[in-house]
Amino acid sequence: MVNATGMMKKLDNIKGFIESSFIDWPGRTCAVLFLGGCNFRCPFCHNHPLVRHPDELVSYPVEEVVSRLGPLRKWLGGVAVTGGEPTLDPDLPELLGIIRDQGFQCKIDTNGSRPEVLARLLDDGLLDMVAMDVKTVLVRDKYEQCAGTGVDLEKIAGSIELIKNSGIAHEFRMTVLPRYHSREDIVAWAAYLGKDSVLKLQNYDPRSPMYPGLAGAKGFSPGDFDELVQLIKG
Amino acid sequence: MGVVMPLQEAKKKESFKQVTRDDSTDLALFVRTSEEDIVGWKRQRIVDALLRETFIDRDTAERISIDVEKTVQTSNLKTVTGPLIRELVNARLLELGLEEARRMHTRLGVPLYDVDHLLVQHNKENANVPHGPEATNLTLAEGIKKEYALLHVFTTDVADAHLNGDLHLHDLGFIDRPYCSGQSLEYVKKFGLNLPNSLAMAKPAKHADVLLAHMVKFAAALQSHFAGAIGWDAVNLFYAPYLEEMSDRDVKQLAQMLIYEFSQQAVARGGQAIFSDINVYWEVPKHFVDVPAIGPGGEYTGKTYGEYEKEAQRFAWALFEVYKEGDGAGRPFFFPKPLVHITEKFFKTEGHMDFLNHICEVASVKGNTYFVFDRGDTAKISECCRLSFKLEASDLEDAKEPWRMRYSALQNVTINLPRLAYKAEGDDTKLFTLLTEQIKLAAKGHEQKKKFIEKLMALGKGGPLAMLAMDLDGNSYLRLERCSYLMGMVGLNELVKVHTGEELHDSEASLKFGLKVIAHMNIVCNKMAEQMGMKFVLEQTPAESTAYRFAKLDMAHHPEETAKVIQGNMESGEIYYTNSTLFNVGAEMSPIARVEKEGLLHPLIEAGSITHVWLGESSPDKEALADFVIKTFRHTNNDQIAFSPEFTCCLDCGKTGRGITDTCQYCGSEKIDGITRITGYFTKISSWNKGKLGELHDRYRNEERFVRK
Repeated sequence: MVNATGMMKKLDNIKGFIESSFIDWPGRTCAVLFLGGCNFRCPFCHNHPLVRHPDELVSYPVEEVVSRLGPLRKWLGGVAVTGGEPTLDPDLPELLGIIRDQGFQCKIDTNGSRPEVLARLLDDGLLDMVAMDVKTVLVRDKYEQCAGTGVDLEKIAGSIELIKNSGIAHEFRMTVLPRYHSREDIVAWAAYLGKDSVLKLQNYDPRSPMYPGLAGAKGFSPGDFDELVQLIKG
Repeated sequence: MGVVMPLQEAKKKESFKQVTRDDSTDLALFVRTSEEDIVGWKRQRIVDALLRETFIDRDTAERISIDVEKTVQTSNLKTVTGPLIRELVNARLLELGLEEARRMHTRLGVPLYDVDHLLVQHNKENANVPHGPEATNLTLAEGIKKEYALLHVFTTDVADAHLNGDLHLHDLGFIDRPYCSGQSLEYVKKFGLNLPNSLAMAKPAKHADVLLAHMVKFAAALQSHFAGAIGWDAVNLFYAPYLEEMSDRDVKQLAQMLIYEFSQQAVARGGQAIFSDINVYWEVPKHFVDVPAIGPGGEYTGKTYGEYEKEAQRFAWALFEVYKEGDGAGRPFFFPKPLVHITEKFFKTEGHMDFLNHICEVASVKGNTYFVFDRGDTAKISECCRLSFKLEASDLEDAKEPWRMRYSALQNVTINLPRLAYKAEGDDTKLFTLLTEQIKLAAKGHEQKKKFIEKLMALGKGGPLAMLAMDLDGNSYLRLERCSYLMGMVGLNELVKVHTGEELHDSEASLKFGLKVIAHMNIVCNKMAEQMGMKFVLEQTPAESTAYRFAKLDMAHHPEETAKVIQGNMESGEIYYTNSTLFNVGAEMSPIARVEKEGLLHPLIEAGSITHVWLGESSPDKEALADFVIKTFRHTNNDQIAFSPEFTCCLDCGKTGRGITDTCQYCGSEKIDGITRITGYFTKISSWNKGKLGELHDRYRNEERFVRK
């Protein structure tokens, strides 16, 4: 959407809106906003229209989102802003501010590539929870393979430290598939995080991956996956 | 056998013997009778049958028999069958304009072709009927009883309304039974297993596992006397007095036995699992707190049920542990369905949050849990797909002696709502007039079934419903005067769309109109109840096959109008109307909007409603679900909710994965079957009818669908 002066309209990047989700905020029913655009190209991503061609998707005007959220206040434990990668959106602080002004707590999902944005959001007290997607162990080749692009690992590590020390609720999540993730990698990751932070595993969903080369690749079998989950719990 | 059953009599009349000397013709003809005999021709048999079964006079009967004899004679047959002769007689009756007599003389049965198909192919009218010799027995018997009901129990106007799809008389194949039964375990605890026609009488159980054996057999006996669901009230509480000495491990074992017994009972009637429900409470319901508890041997324990809270909770917890594990292949148990009552007292009872999280985890992992909301002072017993009986003053009086508590709905009649809208052509007055007439017709059908059951019950302990006539507590087991008569509906959403141009979820105005329709149904039911002295109550019909049947019939009778509003896929024939008062299952409504808005209709539907939240493959957070359940209780009028996950089970490796996938997630096999809720219970998707398959495809599973510009 372009306004009269030819500038991109502000806050015009809400590409998806779920009013009540049971899976996006531990322990809470929350609304979810999907912001378009991402700087990673994870081959196993299944939100790829949102990542690659956000401009082709219809946006929800922020006014509509606000008016639809209003009546849900007594139901929702907060609003999760996800993507794509929400920290890429220059309007994110403003969006979070608008949501908070409506009386909702806020959570973001990030890939941790922009710790400076994250730091500002935390400093400004705009977040009540952060979930960070980690791709694999912090080894350049492996990480870049899983992110599908060049990655500054220092920034990733910086985000991890920032989140661990943020004092707010947080979790780390990792989508795993045998082609990229060995059992040792996963265990090493959980150990690196330490006891105070949760690593939540998500099994790879083989349907419609971003990278066609992954067609035919499989996630862990449900049994192996459950075993992994138990392993890092212990 | 002392009693000559009418059916055998009917068979006898089809035996024909060698012609007598009176007959001028010398007919060397043999007749295959239904009594497995080949006998010679005897014209007199035709006359006898006509005189016995119809009101026609002897001369006419004689004339017809001679005509038929001539026809048979000229056909040069060596052998004929009884049924053929009967049809020749019927044809003659028809020619003579004796329609009444033809109806009375008609034969009920099934064409050879159909039987051949039936024995080999699967009947999908009810997904809870497997395929096997017992199941085909059931279908054949149902077929004949259905014909009998439509010809002989109901008047032509009611029967025709059923046949042309204006309304649906449910379970016609079970015409000689009431619809469903909800009861208390106390009956079995107090009286033991003492059934009429049973070969052995068992005294009240002394041990929990024996009590379980009694319960299961009693349920199976009830299944043989009711068409549908068998529900049990406050099961965990009534077991409690038997559990005091048992270790947690033994209690878990008992829970496991109970769930396996009910879920594996697919060996009884028609190879059908007993459609069973267990009502579970975390608290001791108010009306049982001061009631003296019955324990081992049917004796009072000297304590009240209020003192068994901890034992009851232990059992409730164990039951849900078993549900969470699923069956031996990790599949959800289909039966018994656990209905947990959420009440004000629930929230005042210690440990309720832990229990709520526990049952929400089951809802997330396996889907079993039904959350039944009893707000204010309401108390209910629930069963079937959503049916519930609100406890009234007289019931609460019964609660003091809980073995008296039993509830039955005698029949369910569902009204085809979209068709009324086609006929009303946008005229409100016409629509509501047609609706009133249809409810009256349904009430007439109820009255006719009531009379028929009354007739059977009047035969008492020597009659076919001896079990329902047993009176161990001074009343017959079936208390006819207290039965409910269910008025169901299908396709409110489509009615509203035809009439207003919008579906229920489209606008406030269309929802309001939907409310008006159901409110009207409610008022008419109440008026009819007063007038006829029968308790008519609205129920959301589960309509597993009716939603498909009405859709098909309307596509045939009102193709133009129907095509505009029908749901599903017309090309594949997977068409349906939206069940009862549910909103379009494919509408992108959040679960919040769904429980709120569908819930607005629930208070008008006394005998029970439900909102389904379809989960697809995502495993929600148990605490998030618990939060949602609490808010549904606090902020809406919704009656009952259930969360429905989907599964794929592998026919090769036997394992079960989450979500409906094309191949097994474990071994990659393509020989798989899906599992999810069809209406109010879990089944294998391969057993679903086409209409429900269409619905499954459309269900909105609370996932974002990004919209391209």
